[in-house]
Amino acid sequence: MKEKLVLSIFVSVFLAVLMGGQVYAQTVKAYMGTSPENNVKIVNFVKEKTGIQILQTFQSFGEIEAKVKSEAPNFNADIIVGCGSPLAFMAKKNKWSVPYDSPNWKGVAPEFIDSDKNWFNIANFSFVLVGNRDKLKEKGYTMPKSWKELTDPKWKDQIVMPSPLSSGTANMIRYAFLALYGEEQGWNFLAALDKNIHHYTRSGNAPTDLVGRGEFLLGITSDENVKKRIDEGYPLLWSIPEEGIGYDGTFALILSGTKMMDACKKIIDVLGTQAFSDMMAGIGYMTPRPAPNALYGKTTPKYIKLDLGWAAENRPKWNDIWKEKFRTEFK
Amino acid sequence: MAKAESYSVPQSNVWERLKTFINAELINILAAILFLLLAIFLLYPILAVLIKSIRDPQGLTFAYYLKFFTKGYYFQSLQNTLLLGFINTVICLVVGFCLAYLTTRGPLVLRKPLKIISMMPLIAPPYLFAISLIILFGRNGILTKAFALNWSIYGFTGVVVAQTLAFIPLAYLMIENTLMSLNPNLEESAYDLGASEGRIIRTITIPLLTPGILKAGLLVFVMTIAEFGNAAILGGRTPFLAPDTYTMIIGEADFEMGSVLSVILIIPCIIIFFLHNYLLTGKKFTTIGGKPVASEPRKMTPLVKIPFLVIGFTAVFAIFISFGVVLMASFTKILGVKNEIVFSHILNFDSNRAIYNSIQVSLIAALIGAIIGTLLAYVIVRGKFFGRTFIEMVSLSGFALPGTVIGIGYLLAFNTPPFKLTGGIMILALNCVFRFLAVGVEAGISKLHQINIEIEEASSDLGANFMTTFYKIILPIMFPAFIAGFIYTFMTAIVSLSAVVFLVSPGFELAAVKIFDAAVYGEIGLASATTMKLVAIVVLCMMILNYLTKKTGFDITQKKGV
Amino acid sequence: MTIPTPIPMLNLIEIHKFYDRLEVLKGVSMEVKKGELVTFVGPSGCGKTTLLRIIGGFTNLDSGEVILDGQRIDHLPPNLRDTRICFQNYALFPHMTVADNIGYGLKIKKWKKNKIQERVEELLKLVQLEGLGSRMIDKLSGGQQQRVALARALSLEPKVLLLDEPLSNLDANLRLTMRGEIRKLQERLKITTIFVTHDQFEAMSISDRIVVMKEGVIQQVGSPIEIYERPSNEFIASFVGFVNFLEGVVERVDIGLNKATASTPIGVVQFVPERNINVGEKVKLVIRPETIQISQSEPTGMNNIFQGEVEIGMYVGSLAKYTVMINGEKFIIDQPNPRETFFKPKEKVYLSIPENIHLLIKTEIHQ
Repeated sequence: MKEKLVLSIFVSVFLAVLMGGQVYAQTVKAYMGTSPENNVKIVNFVKEKTGIQILQTFQSFGEIEAKVKSEAPNFNADIIVGCGSPLAFMAKKNKWSVPYDSPNWKGVAPEFIDSDKNWFNIANFSFVLVGNRDKLKEKGYTMPKSWKELTDPKWKDQIVMPSPLSSGTANMIRYAFLALYGEEQGWNFLAALDKNIHHYTRSGNAPTDLVGRGEFLLGITSDENVKKRIDEGYPLLWSIPEEGIGYDGTFALILSGTKMMDACKKIIDVLGTQAFSDMMAGIGYMTPRPAPNALYGKTTPKYIKLDLGWAAENRPKWNDIWKEKFRTEFK
Repeated sequence: MAKAESYSVPQSNVWERLKTFINAELINILAAILFLLLAIFLLYPILAVLIKSIRDPQGLTFAYYLKFFTKGYYFQSLQNTLLLGFINTVICLVVGFCLAYLTTRGPLVLRKPLKIISMMPLIAPPYLFAISLIILFGRNGILTKAFALNWSIYGFTGVVVAQTLAFIPLAYLMIENTLMSLNPNLEESAYDLGASEGRIIRTITIPLLTPGILKAGLLVFVMTIAEFGNAAILGGRTPFLAPDTYTMIIGEADFEMGSVLSVILIIPCIIIFFLHNYLLTGKKFTTIGGKPVASEPRKMTPLVKIPFLVIGFTAVFAIFISFGVVLMASFTKILGVKNEIVFSHILNFDSNRAIYNSIQVSLIAALIGAIIGTLLAYVIVRGKFFGRTFIEMVSLSGFALPGTVIGIGYLLAFNTPPFKLTGGIMILALNCVFRFLAVGVEAGISKLHQINIEIEEASSDLGANFMTTFYKIILPIMFPAFIAGFIYTFMTAIVSLSAVVFLVSPGFELAAVKIFDAAVYGEIGLASATTMKLVAIVVLCMMILNYLTKKTGFDITQKKGV
Repeated sequence: MTIPTPIPMLNLIEIHKFYDRLEVLKGVSMEVKKGELVTFVGPSGCGKTTLLRIIGGFTNLDSGEVILDGQRIDHLPPNLRDTRICFQNYALFPHMTVADNIGYGLKIKKWKKNKIQERVEELLKLVQLEGLGSRMIDKLSGGQQQRVALARALSLEPKVLLLDEPLSNLDANLRLTMRGEIRKLQERLKITTIFVTHDQFEAMSISDRIVVMKEGVIQQVGSPIEIYERPSNEFIASFVGFVNFLEGVVERVDIGLNKATASTPIGVVQFVPERNINVGEKVKLVIRPETIQISQSEPTGMNNIFQGEVEIGMYVGSLAKYTVMINGEKFIIDQPNPRETFFKPKEKVYLSIPENIHLLIKTEIHQ
């Protein structure tokens, strides 16, 4: 019987495919919100130091927040490595995170670790202004010196920035401007800026690539990939406008209900080491344990004064305002 | 063999009686089980979406719908979506018809190459065309720079172009299938009676193809408004329902509004589904003794040939170029910036696990789907129970259900116990099974209609019980339908994004989602390389399947009952 | 000076057709006279349908000419030829009514509406379907569909009507009726018709002339009687009806008496030579089953009497069919009106073979 032959081949292929999957000794599922490349770097670092394989999907901070919110309390992951402050604070409040007093996180500045050891800030990141060197030269424009300059009509449809609905970077950008100009003036500035924005991207790093490839002239973007893209040869210019930049943490926390508690603890331990800080600083992050920063060098950039806790509280309200303002009218 | 004892010893033990009962009622038991499956995995998720959209913590509410209809934004989104669906369907049908006509009636030398290229998009994720459009027509695109073009692809037109190219093969395949089974003598008769080619197409070919064209239109419409990859990448600030739903669910966890959008999205699809069913009743033309024959190449009149060739070639050329540039991009360091040949994208193995998962999910889905599809077809055609038509409609409704909606439905329905399925691989596979079930069921039904029930009765008469009859007689006859369901589910599942994007979880990510992420993120090189790897694997799988089915004497290219 | 012969309605000259490298028509030439019904007959794959399609313009020929009423037409598409075809499956437009089907060609020719209606009525009457004009096609029986197809083909009064196995989808009785009707209609309208069939009896009963084809070559053209009585080769002989072949060597030829004898496996057979033959020549005798007489006692005063034994006897009513062995040779014999004389197996019988036996003049034609 030929059909039997085919059937047996199908079945054997199936079994092969089905069995082949689980070869890792110890696997932990994680939501990770840094850029895809940086996610991979962190995964490799953890694997090298502990032997634990992290399985992860790339998502923006906002997306991880949405996912965790919708899954609670039955999470499909064991740990978060890289989410924004709003989720970190929310998780603590709702007891979605499991506190762990890690020996490796002793002596870290308070902004990097929760007083109750619920969340661990593995690295601060910021947003910067990027421009395409070649395209700017073509048009005869120079990099704007201040954020205000971005509202100039000459930039119409030439600026991209992430959407605060999905991106943690954008959430930080929005809050930074509200903090800088005060809530009312801040919204006016965002509205003026909106007139020049071509579109809002899903991820906070996307503007770096889009501007780098010359699709758009300017971008407000997360600083985490800028250094790497310049090294790769993208014609990128970056600057910190004179008003300064905002920042947010990249938070790690253990999700309640995990069956891999020991592995999760090991991961948290590793994230608190000097070696890990060195690696992250090498990418361009500001780290819990001091290390030379690849992007900013020894200088500390000018930061806008922020209260992340207050920002997290206000995020839902600001999202509603943002949707109301920037989604309802179309060009 | 029949148990003769069961007649001579009617009061045998319970087990024997149970066995007799099962044997006699097997088809009804089967129908009940299948209906339960359909109810759980198709109706319940849709219902979950509907319920979510009209409930808030206080109870029943229409506040979310009110919000939808009072905000210009959502209305604009709906309008764009319907317009996109409409334009796309029309273009796809026209192009699909021209291509199908050329490959079945046109010059022999052109038939095969045209056919192969027209079907290429089937094996790639639909948003491949968004990537290729950016490479070619983006602000820093190859053609934009070469010809100093001023065409902004970010917006409605860009989405239309990308979606059209992505769904041409769907229209093409369906129309080609009906054209193939159209008795060529009908057109020849008209020709003989003095009709010009244009007139034949107008008065004979198209009227007779109506069922196929309607079906193709329905499918293209539903796919266009549901598959949001292209719209998400190219839409810019032009709103469309599907990507908006995606942003709402994935970005904001706004399940209520997301559900409202889903329900709104499903309405036009359902309307078209019923309209299509209504229009089709009494339109299934039968011809006497008309076997499917590839008609002889005829001299097409220039009046028809030239416009058909222009339309066909434009489409085929665009598809070919799109694949070409994506292939090129997967070997270029930074396309348009640093045009150096590199292998780093291709050799980036981060996506390997995702590709592996995709194959695994698609294979599981294809197997389960083909089995359930075959059984459903059997139950629908041969069963004599109440609600048969209902089962048929539900199982064929997969044609009309936008992937986004089913995806969200699964997320809502299977996220909490007792049906906690999220965070695993089965939810991905099951989702694909029930979304793409319709093709296998339909192929099965048409196969079963071809065979006389007397064959089965003859077999039962000879003493075979139901299982034996099914195994020995029905299964072999339905095998082509099984294969059709298997292949369709496999191919569609492996490249589809719209539903599974809501269901992936750490460790269970899929290639289609991974590519989408990379493309949205702006990593064109990586997205292109992963696409090409996926395409290569799909082609390889198809070749193996083709080889295996040929070995058993079934030519899948002929039996594809889509 | 030659006497002008009437121009044939259809003239086929040296037609060749290849499918890929396979030659399906190997130089076919023939003429069809005006008002004649000619049948192309042959086993499937003989090229008869291809030839018909070439005449109709649906298949291109590779070389040769098709001349219709003095005009070369092989370069014209079907819609510009004055030929009309009726397909095996009728190819009626299922989305139109009977009247719309019949009037389709008239509408294309831009006839006035009332003229079309008149003509359709006339045609419906002709094919005996009055009052069915508004029916949809799938509400008709097979025979009715056949009539509609015929009416549609006749609507434009073609010079040549092409019928491709028109009766093969009908059941046996209807087939006989329709066969007669088509012939009656054809004779009444005096329309030149080419009829393609694989059924030799159909061909025999309906045609003025029969063209027997095999493997892309015309084997013989002739009236049904010529084809049956004087088949030019073994293939034709056995294709039209049952036949006993008897091989032999000519022993004696008496030109004066117009008699000859040949020695065969069953003994010496006398026959009337149809042509010049020589002593020592190998011949093949064609003996139709119904020409052999069978009897219990030995007939007197006749030549060619042989004794044999009945192997199988089948009583069919109007005749009995026997297989009789003579000297190890098998003979098929039809006995008309057997009644009480029906022979049983193992019975000894005498066979009387007539002297005017047909001789095959040549073997099959291959090219």
